[in-house]
Amino acid sequence: MKNTGNQARAQQPELPRINPRETFKWLAVIGILFLAFTNFGVVVNFVVNVLILIYRFTYESFGVAIILLTVLIKLVTWPLNAQQNKLMKAQQEFQNDKEWLNIQKKYAKDREKLAAEQMRLYRERGINPLGGCLPMLIQFPILFALIPAITYAIGSTPLSILNLSKSLYEFQNVASLVPLNSTFLGTDLGLPERTLILGFSIPVLALTAAVTTYLQTKLTMPPSTGGANDQAAATSKMMSIYMPVMFYFICVNYAAGLSLYFVASNILSIAQYAIQGRTNWRNLIPGRQKS
Amino acid sequence: MRKKLVFISFVLLAAILLSGCTGAIAWPGLSATDEVAYLANTTAVYAVDLKNGNQLWSFSGERGGFSFFNTNPSLFVSTPVVTEDGLVIVLDSSNKHLIYAVDPNDVDSEEKTPKIEWKFSDADGLWIAQPLVVENRLFAPNSDGNVYVLDLTNGNLIEAVQVARSSEEEARLWGQPVTDGERVFVTTLDKSVIAIDVESYEVLWHEDIGGAVPGGAVLGSDGMLYVGSLAKQLERFDPATGAHTPVLDTNGWIWGTPIANGDNLYFGDVEGYFYSYNTKEQKLNFEPAQPDAAITASPLVIGEQVLVATESGDVYSFSADGAMEVWYQLEGKGKAYTTPVSAGGFVLVAYLESDYYLVALDEDGDEKWTFAGK
Repeated sequence: MKNTGNQARAQQPELPRINPRETFKWLAVIGILFLAFTNFGVVVNFVVNVLILIYRFTYESFGVAIILLTVLIKLVTWPLNAQQNKLMKAQQEFQNDKEWLNIQKKYAKDREKLAAEQMRLYRERGINPLGGCLPMLIQFPILFALIPAITYAIGSTPLSILNLSKSLYEFQNVASLVPLNSTFLGTDLGLPERTLILGFSIPVLALTAAVTTYLQTKLTMPPSTGGANDQAAATSKMMSIYMPVMFYFICVNYAAGLSLYFVASNILSIAQYAIQGRTNWRNLIPGRQKS
Repeated sequence: MRKKLVFISFVLLAAILLSGCTGAIAWPGLSATDEVAYLANTTAVYAVDLKNGNQLWSFSGERGGFSFFNTNPSLFVSTPVVTEDGLVIVLDSSNKHLIYAVDPNDVDSEEKTPKIEWKFSDADGLWIAQPLVVENRLFAPNSDGNVYVLDLTNGNLIEAVQVARSSEEEARLWGQPVTDGERVFVTTLDKSVIAIDVESYEVLWHEDIGGAVPGGAVLGSDGMLYVGSLAKQLERFDPATGAHTPVLDTNGWIWGTPIANGDNLYFGDVEGYFYSYNTKEQKLNFEPAQPDAAITASPLVIGEQVLVATESGDVYSFSADGAMEVWYQLEGKGKAYTTPVSAGGFVLVAYLESDYYLVALDEDGDEKWTFAGK
């Protein structure tokens, strides 16, 4: 009977062992997220104040302030993104691991066993399948707060200035700030941008945001290696189409300052990937996707 | 990679939802004749029948263009102006920078939209300020630092008066001008007050003050010009020379244009204080009273009482001795930043972030009808 029980337990999929350090990390992140989202206004106000401080130091140019804020956020989140990228790379490599490919073939019809073997291999290779989520999650409050912060801070209408006066800390002396210079390269960043070209009113910034999103998704697309990874490549390919479209429709309807942020963020992301040697420039050439 | 893209999509969608980006970006502009209210409310200007609150027509600007690239929505927030000829002047505050004169007596029966009599498109900045009609001319201040003087019959430009001292200096004009018959007085967000000769369009004087002026100036019964600013001060100007001096410190920013009634000036501040200032005696009639929220709208004088709409949506009444009472309490949500208007026996209050755009109240503050747009 005892042996039978042991055999039954052995057939159960092996669950990941509880790691106290990982558990603590997760609880800390959940706690931070809970605090941030229950006090979302405080987070937004903090970002607005940082943006206004940068604005003061950039000879009152909102365009430059938005770009510098984007750089600042990229720098602050660089270690988190680097950690996330490292984990993603390890997972991509895992998909091509010979042992894993053999196991997939061997247990193609036994999902439970396949899952147990996958967990075993993860442990052996030192991969935490959920490890990539933590750096993502911790960035949520700031990223969520950026959009309202940019729209609040650009006081180009009476209501935005009134809202701004409620968001700024006392030391900022809002009255001295008004009027804010919301114009950047001839565009009012507080309104949806349109440029008259050949009689057509073209949303140049929204289109640029869409194009840079396309470039970013293309350049950072994982190499197609056949097998299981083909599915990931197919998903990425689909994302490279719908993401720019989604960005376009968001940018075309909202303040141009938001479009400028997306453009700057996309370009910096491409630069970050390039520095890490993870950009696939061949992906830009039709039919020449790197493999 | 896939995780990251899914993450970005999720962040974008959630951020848009959380941020309330779809919310209003400006409060409505409201004016009225004895029969019709004109409400500029973000995407359209509505003509509302004062008898029953029914919509007569709406105007959303010109249509046309290739929609994928040309989704350039109009924005109507500046208070419409009704001319003696019956034209309604509406200003598109989007980056199209257009002024339209529409004819409310020539409404397309199917589209329910009025015919455009003329339009003006030469300005480079946003239209925020309500224009001023002087005889047959329209004085329209723009955020590009010019006051555009237009011929009301055809919209032709008579003069573009640059009120900034130089082309490098900015002069964003948000407040409605006021005239004493000889001069037109203009206030700027760039902390200055300017007098323009009403006939020659020459800038007569240009004076700097301590704070931005989002509202307009007002002429007191003493013949002096009074201006409130974000410097938390009420200043008195000599209309002839521009010589000025602060006459009152306030608790908060003065946003709305003060209202003159006899020897008194009435105005509020964004800290929620209401002031009654006697220009003859140069002192407050009573200690500033504090209703329940910020005051950005100009007060409205109805008989013996002064009505003040606050950010909370409620309307307060003040008597000559400063007695305050809630005159109308808004049920539900809504913010009243717009100056109430008295017309057709009603007091009209426009709301932002409310279930309805407009509420008509009788002389006792009882709700008669509401308008929610179509």
